[in-house]
Amino acid sequence: MTAVVHHSRPGLGRWIDDGTTGRAAVRPAARSAAALAVFGFFATLLALAAFQSVVVSGQLEFDHLQRRLEDGRGRSQLLRAEVARLESPGRILEVAGGRLGLVFPEERFDLPSVVPGDPSTILAPPVGDPFSRTYR
Amino acid sequence: MSRQPVEPTGRGRGAATVVWHRETRRRFRRRAIFVGLTLVAVAGMFGWRLVSLQLQEQERFVAQGDSQRIKNITLRAGRGAIVDRNGVDLVLSVPGQSMIANPLWVEDPVRAAQALAQVLGADPEVLERRLSSDKSFVYLGRQVDLEVAEATLALNISGVYAQEEWERIRPGGDSALSVLGRTDIDSIGISGMELVYDGTLSGTDGKRRVEMGMRGASIPGGEYSVEAAADGRTLVLTLDRALQFEAERLLLKGVEAVGAKGGVLVAMRPATGEILATATVRRSSDGVVRISSDYRAATWTYEPGSIIKPLTVSAILNRAVAAPDTVREVPPRLEVHDATFSDSPFHETADLTLTEIIRRSSNVGTILWAQDLGSDALYEQLREFGLGSVTDLDFPGEASGILHPPGAWSGTTLPTIAIGQGVSTTPLQMLTAYSALANGGVRPAPTLVLGTRDDEGVFEPRRPGPSLSILPTAVAAEVVAMMEQVVVSGTGTRAQVPGYRVAGKTGTAWKVLPTGGYGSKGNRSYVASFAGFLPADTPRLAVIVVVDEPSGEIYSGGRVAAPVFAEFAGFAVRQLSIPSAHERVESDREGRVMALTPAHHAILREAAEASRLEQSGELVAASATGG
Repeated sequence: MTAVVHHSRPGLGRWIDDGTTGRAAVRPAARSAAALAVFGFFATLLALAAFQSVVVSGQLEFDHLQRRLEDGRGRSQLLRAEVARLESPGRILEVAGGRLGLVFPEERFDLPSVVPGDPSTILAPPVGDPFSRTYR
Repeated sequence: MSRQPVEPTGRGRGAATVVWHRETRRRFRRRAIFVGLTLVAVAGMFGWRLVSLQLQEQERFVAQGDSQRIKNITLRAGRGAIVDRNGVDLVLSVPGQSMIANPLWVEDPVRAAQALAQVLGADPEVLERRLSSDKSFVYLGRQVDLEVAEATLALNISGVYAQEEWERIRPGGDSALSVLGRTDIDSIGISGMELVYDGTLSGTDGKRRVEMGMRGASIPGGEYSVEAAADGRTLVLTLDRALQFEAERLLLKGVEAVGAKGGVLVAMRPATGEILATATVRRSSDGVVRISSDYRAATWTYEPGSIIKPLTVSAILNRAVAAPDTVREVPPRLEVHDATFSDSPFHETADLTLTEIIRRSSNVGTILWAQDLGSDALYEQLREFGLGSVTDLDFPGEASGILHPPGAWSGTTLPTIAIGQGVSTTPLQMLTAYSALANGGVRPAPTLVLGTRDDEGVFEPRRPGPSLSILPTAVAAEVVAMMEQVVVSGTGTRAQVPGYRVAGKTGTAWKVLPTGGYGSKGNRSYVASFAGFLPADTPRLAVIVVVDEPSGEIYSGGRVAAPVFAEFAGFAVRQLSIPSAHERVESDREGRVMALTPAHHAILREAAEASRLEQSGELVAASATGG
């Protein structure tokens, strides 16, 4: 028969006192501890695996970002070259003369800056906005 | 054979059982010993191998493992760009594709070569030879278009790959080609600025050491180190892309119009020697005038002709031999030793001031004064103007020209050199000399480079070359005033730019024929030129236009080169925001209206705001805190 003796000090849990059958009484606790240890071991393995997968995916992401960075650098250079090409006077002249059919003026007048009251001012300043659609 | 022990005969049943058991135990023991020994032997072999791997050949296997896992990837440094003075890209590197192959993995080189030749546009025999080689790496096509690379890969030929390479491109085409120069296919400078500044433009390659698993993925937590590549510095030139383009366009038009062999145009800031535009065009063998890759402004020498006269007059004024208004009787012809010098157009003997002599470009008048000046003084002055020696440009192949010392002069050398024959210069030397006149007698050091810029955009200016004071300011001003008369009413009236005071001089030099000598009238070749600057009172732009061998009736500098000068200068003053004389009149007067575009207005507003912040210290504080 198993007798349970409460220890005089509170909080120490159960104390098993059974003379010859003491070892048998401890077994369930050991089993629980072993099960807990096994569970803990596998839980740790699982956590490690999860951590490993996070690290691997992080590394993959890092590699991917690095490739994107290199591609981005190359693309930025290509775009830079394209901007320079599109802005080049040669191309603009080609488009103006070719597709748009523009021609060089035979004579060109450069307007001087307008000085109010200056007797040398020949041209009157424009009235209204010459670039608006309604201005004709 | 039965595995059961043989039952002994002739004994009792119990004894037989004992014997049988004993025999069985013995056999079992023998087998156990055998198996045990075998296992020990195997374990011993494993142990020995382990010792061998871990201790004896450790380094070899570690190295082998490393070579399989650890990759050293070279990080190619980008070659720096070349930009104009406004930061516009003139040359830059972009990623391109090269087609490569491992011939050891190509199954059928003949068929592969035929298929690749169609896509790459290469010779099938050459490709076949490469694909049949015993190398593990061959190039099939370098720096091919992206479409070609994709089409090649679409053929799915085993052992054929694409490899990324940086290639050098000029977005503006051949514009400024002679200055920019070229690189070879490996982006190493071979001419022009690409060659001179190869060390600055080339960066330092970096290295990435990374541990990789299957399929090239990095091993997490594995070895990883990066030595970043240091890209080359950006080279900032003094050129202005818009001016450069216009210079080339106008020169092409001018050379084509007079059927000339070629031409050179150089524009410079007289105060600093910064070259703003430099164009060289030549008529090629097919008769078409094209932009040349030769930088003839500095490498080609010619006899400058009359544009040297302001330099001769500078010496005359500097040595106080005469003043601008000193009058002298000038005959239409002058005989010196065995040569006859004459003025064109013909004139009767006249009393001409020195200013008149320059205005009319009188050979005889110039020679008469030069004879009074003397050989040594003329030679020294021309040397001080920079003739006969290379400039500070530091350009490969720059010519020094020819100016022999007076000791080697003959009786006709002095008069000949005084009017620009018998001496050879480069267009750049003449423009530098004119810049000295425009710059109050201080000769600038011509330069094509403003400085360099690093990745962060930090600009490091190039140390300017030495400027030399070669003429008193007053003398330079007198010469400029005389040159202004050339454009106002002399031989250079076609160089006038509306709204601007222009000073300059025309030149129509005889060219030495391939057979020797200058030929006779009707059988001569000419070099027409005009050099000048504006505004004459505060020069901000100096330009020289040289047209080589104009054919036909129109060949003089005043009719061939001066119009090109005028058109170019008219464009340049707006591009460089050089105000006209009219615009500069009382620019600070109250109520004066400045016409500004909205963009210009915004820039001025931002600049004012930046200036205010800088003065108040806010900008500095923001920079310090990374704001």
